Formats: sequence, structure tokens, C-alpha cells
Amino acid sequence: MEPVGNKEELIRRIAVALRGHEGAQAAAAPPPPAPAGIGTEADRISRFREQFESHGGNFLSASAWEVLLPALGEELRMAGVVALFFPDGDAEARRAAEALVPFGPFTLISPAEARQPVSPLTAGLQTAEFAIAETGSIVQTSRGGTSLLPGLLPDVHVALLSPAAFVDRMEECLAAFGQDPPRNISFLSGPSRTADVEQTLTIGAHGPKKTVAVLLP
Amino acid sequence: MEPRSHSFYRNSEKSLADTTLQAALSRTTGKFVYARAASVDAYPGFEDVRSEGARIKKETLDALDRHLARFLEEAEKRGAVVHVARDAAEARRIAADIARQEGVTLAVKSKSMVAEEVDLNPALEAAGVEVVESDLGEFIIQLAGEPPSHIIAPAVHKSREQISKLFEQKLSEPYTEEIPELVRMARKHLRAKFLAAGMGISGANFLCADTGSVVLVTNEGNGRMGTILPRVHLAVAGIEKVIPRLADLPIFLRLLPRSATGQAISTYVSILTGTKRQGDPEGPEKLHLLLVDNGRSGILQGKYREILKCIRCGACLNICPVYQSVGGHAYGWVYSGPIGAVLTPLLTGLPEGAPLPNASTLCGACAEVCPVKIPLPKLFLELRADERDQGLKNPAEVFGMKGYAAVMSRAGILEAMERILGVLSRLFFKEGRVTWLPLKLSGWTGKRDFPAPAPVPFRKLWKKHRGIRPWNR
Ligand code: SF4
Repeated sequence: MEPVGNKEELIRRIAVALRGHEGAQAAAAPPPPAPAGIGTEADRISRFREQFESHGGNFLSASAWEVLLPALGEELRMAGVVALFFPDGDAEARRAAEALVPFGPFTLISPAEARQPVSPLTAGLQTAEFAIAETGSIVQTSRGGTSLLPGLLPDVHVALLSPAAFVDRMEECLAAFGQDPPRNISFLSGPSRTADVEQTLTIGAHGPKKTVAVLLP
Repeated sequence: MEPRSHSFYRNSEKSLADTTLQAALSRTTGKFVYARAASVDAYPGFEDVRSEGARIKKETLDALDRHLARFLEEAEKRGAVVHVARDAAEARRIAADIARQEGVTLAVKSKSMVAEEVDLNPALEAAGVEVVESDLGEFIIQLAGEPPSHIIAPAVHKSREQISKLFEQKLSEPYTEEIPELVRMARKHLRAKFLAAGMGISGANFLCADTGSVVLVTNEGNGRMGTILPRVHLAVAGIEKVIPRLADLPIFLRLLPRSATGQAISTYVSILTGTKRQGDPEGPEKLHLLLVDNGRSGILQGKYREILKCIRCGACLNICPVYQSVGGHAYGWVYSGPIGAVLTPLLTGLPEGAPLPNASTLCGACAEVCPVKIPLPKLFLELRADERDQGLKNPAEVFGMKGYAAVMSRAGILEAMERILGVLSRLFFKEGRVTWLPLKLSGWTGKRDFPAPAPVPFRKLWKKHRGIRPWNR
């Protein structure tokens, strides 16, 4: 459908409203103050962990895959997960999902199957683009045709984080996209929650009920 | 919705007598106030961020024509179809046309105050669209057929028993008093809607001018679902939601969740720019942006401009002693609490909203918590003055206030009045309380006793004992 309404007229109306008032010709605002850095990579990771856990997220790290896989498998089993999926083209997530199969009653399903209204209890695995230390947020975007389903639909979201993915603050993350952000940038900070019934915090409103951040060895 | 703000006093009577509502209000507002204070305390830089947020908002409004023009240009460049609506009726017509032309029969909607303001849902329903509210609180009040009673917690006034009875009736779910069970029922019901809907409708917390992005902040994840799964996304926003740059967003993301719920960050932040691109496995093919003026450009013109800085966090509601007592519905329209007490008269006209600027004790708590430093009490006073200038004040009140001013500014008359009242007090109010006053003055004594004037006025005591401390007299 074609755009409706007269945009020029709206802008003119606003300009007239502003005319004669201080600031109408205000200079462009200076950029916001640069945020202080958090420090080394290890500091960033530990700050992320603290924040992410305060949102109710689970953080897993281990020195080797042999230790990590059974721990993650256990975590998922305990949550009742029976199916795993990963987006097309995410090699790391595929490798992790396939390696997890022996550690549980897990079957691999396709993104299309995960999109059904009624699906088995599913975990979606995905390599995260960024992890923000300040806020304890996992960042997933649609950049380069990346899917957003693993952090959206399933009961459990597993985000795979490489040490290089950690940034201090939101500013550094957004700066990475410059003036051309992808269609969707999502900050995911722990499991989906609501307090709309009697202001009582309840986990698992629409999105994942459990979120696991896995620091890749 | 039809505003009923003119009957604020009658609405309040009803709210004060509603025991379920009173229990909900004391539970909720207390929790919010405490959570906000704790999270602000835990963030040492908050005051600086607050000043920065207030500055950015003010400068944006001072040059809104430029920033809005930039936003329109950038959003269109990235594939959005931008519509502008002068008033509520036009917004309704445009939204209905979009739905009709896109062939939508089912839409999932996430929370939007401006959509409530222009009464979007009935117009869409008239165009043959089933509109399902997907925010749990909004979903509940939609089932109940009621308006929201709080900006960020629309169903605060409902108990779990009431909600379960609703679900029993409308969704054929078994009765339960377990809150997680209720949430599970809503999730199941709404998931099916998300997957089937042809259109997702959202509001916008922020619009970034330099990238044409729409920003949504939610905790449940419904805003995300509705903007990733359906084929069409319609975002409705007031023209004042613009911020100059995407790079300014972190400032506001540090302010909004802390002020609203006391969270360091809300669970989900979505920054949405344009439509599905080549190779994207999902995402809306069409993005319609509907920018609503509905009186805002008029507000921009005058002394109330600062009210447009509001980021709708709800902090001023929670802290307000009047809101805490009467709740949101008493305000009679979409916006309640201190923000509503200013916005409603400005958007619906003063005769309609006249009681609201008076629904304040001028304690100043709202201005103290407002993350963008809107001087709310000052705006109440301005509106009260406008009411007087437009002859909307009761002549008896104007006369009374003039008399009060005359007495208070003349020491001799004040003293004489005090003496007379002192004598009256000794004769009539032996208990030291006034339990009854006639006519209009009964407002002071209807719900509580009014302290009687002191038999010996303070100034007389002062004259007698000036400088003499009672213990070494
Ligand atoms: S006026 Fe200030 S405190 Fe009230 S909702 Fe708006 S931003 Fe929040």
C-alpha cells in the first residue's frame, strides 16, 4: 500500500510550532560521552556472567569440549529437552548439537519443525554474535541472513559464545554496525519473563524458559 | 476510548471503595517503588545518565522537524512504508486500510499506548481483523473488555482468581490459582496466534533518526515474536519518540528499565530496521510505520513542550500518592498518574481533563523520579492557571483563593483571623477536631477529621515567649 498522509505538511506544522522558540536552530548534539571500559577479556567475561546469571540465565564454561558436553547435556536433560535444532549455516551450533546427541534422549529436528505450534520440548542452539558485559545480554542479529528462531521459539535457548564475542558495553556492540544496522538486532538478557499476574515474577511468558550461555573452550 | 476524565472525582470514589483494587495497588506500587530505588542505588552513574537522557530528549524536541524528517527519509530508504496521521480518526483509517490491503484477518499486537490513545483495535476489528493482544497484561484486560490501568502493568487491578475465571470463560481452561499455570495457558493460546497471524502490530519505545530504526523493549518476548514471525509489521508511534542517533539508544536503555521495573536491562530489546532482506530466512516482508501527531505538534508550540520528553516508564505513577490511592482507571483515559494528569488535558482539551492537574498534592515525588527530568508539578500549576484563565474554575474557589491570598499577605488581617478562629475553636471544637463543615467545604471533612485551629495562635505564643526557652524560663 502506498504511503498515506502528508509528510511535508507534518514537518512544516512542526517547524511552525517550533518557530520563535529557543533551540529551534539548535546545533547538532555532541555525541554522548564515551563509556568507560570494563577492562580485560577475562573481566568482560566475568562481568557478563554475573549479569547474565542475575537475569536468571545459566552460564557454562569448561576448559575442554569433553567436559563441557556432558555438563550441557545434563543441563538440557534436566530441563526435559528431547529435541535439538540449529539454524542452517551455523557450523559451530551444528557441531555442538550433533556431539550432544549421545548425552541425552535428543533427536535433531529442522528449524521448520521447531516452528510448528505443537513441538516436542526443544532446545535451539546458535552461535551468538556478541555478548555485552555491562548488561549481561546475548546479541543475535539477522546479519548475513542469520535466523533468529533459536532464541525465539524453543523452550530452551543455548547461545555459544567465543571469547572474542564479548564487548564492554552496548555502545561497542552498536558501533559494530555503523550506519547500516541489520534488519533485526536483538539483545537477549535471560529467560522470557512476566509479572503481569499480581506482579509475581513468572518465567517463560512467550520466549525461552531457560537460557544457557556456553563459553566455547 | 471515550475520555471520562471530567468525572475524576466520581471515578475516584468508586476506586477508593474497591477493596480488590486497593489491595492490588498497595502491593504493586510499593514493589515498583522499591525495585526502582534499589536498581538506581546499585548504579552509581545514574544521575549523569539521567541528565544526558534529559538533554538528548530536550534537544531532539527543540529541532523535531529536522530529526523527524531524517527519520522518515532513512526509514523509507530501508524499505519501510511511512504513513502520517494528523489525528486519531486518520490513524484508525490508515491502519484499517493497511490491514485490508495486506489481506490480513488475524493480527497479534504488543503493547502500545498510542494505539490505545487513537483506539486502534475497534477500527481494525471493523475492517474484519481479529486483533489479539499478546502482552499478558493486555491479553487479560482485552478478555475482560477493560482499558489498561497502568502504563507498564496494564492488569495490576486484577487478582489471580479474577484472571482464572476469565480464562475459564473465554479460553475454556480449567480453574487454577497457580500463577505459572495461568501464564502457561496464555503462552499456549498466544503461540498459536503468533504462528498464524498475518500481521504483527507494535508500538515503539524509540525511533532512531539516523538509521530509521524502530526500537522495542519488552520482557515477555511478545514484541519479538510479532515482529519476526508475521508477514507484515505495523509499528504505531507518536512523533515525539524520535531520538537523533542509534548511538544515543544505550543512554535510554540504561534509564527505561531501571525506572520502570528496577531491572538493569529488560529481557528483550529489538532494534528493527527495514524489511526482510535477500537471504533472510524469516522477518516481515512489509513494514508499515504509522506516525501519529494527534495534538502533539500543538503541545510542541507552547510551555508544555517538555511533557513530550516522556519515555513512558511509569515511575511517576508508582511514586504518586494520588495514583497509589485511586489507581489508573479513575483518571478516565489512557494515560494515568502524573503523566496522565498533564497529557490528558493537553490531548483531550482542558474542559475534559480539568480535574486531573488538581489530582496532585504537589509533593514533587514524580519530578524526582522522572528519568528525563520532566518538571511535572510545574506543569500541573501551569494547567491550573490555564483553567482559571479559561474560566473553568468554580467561582467560589477563585474567590476563596483570592481571599486566602489577601489574608496571607497582610499580617494584621491574618492575626485578626487567627484570633477569631481561636475563639471559635474554644467554643465549638473542644476535641481539637473539626468533624463537619458545610456545603463545598465538606470535602475536607467527608473522609477524615480536620484539625481545629489552635486556641492560641502560634504567632501570639511567639510574641509572648520570643527567645525564651520554656526550660530556662
Ligand atoms: S513523565 Fe517521566 S516518570 Fe512519568 S512516565 Fe514519563 S518518563 Fe516516566
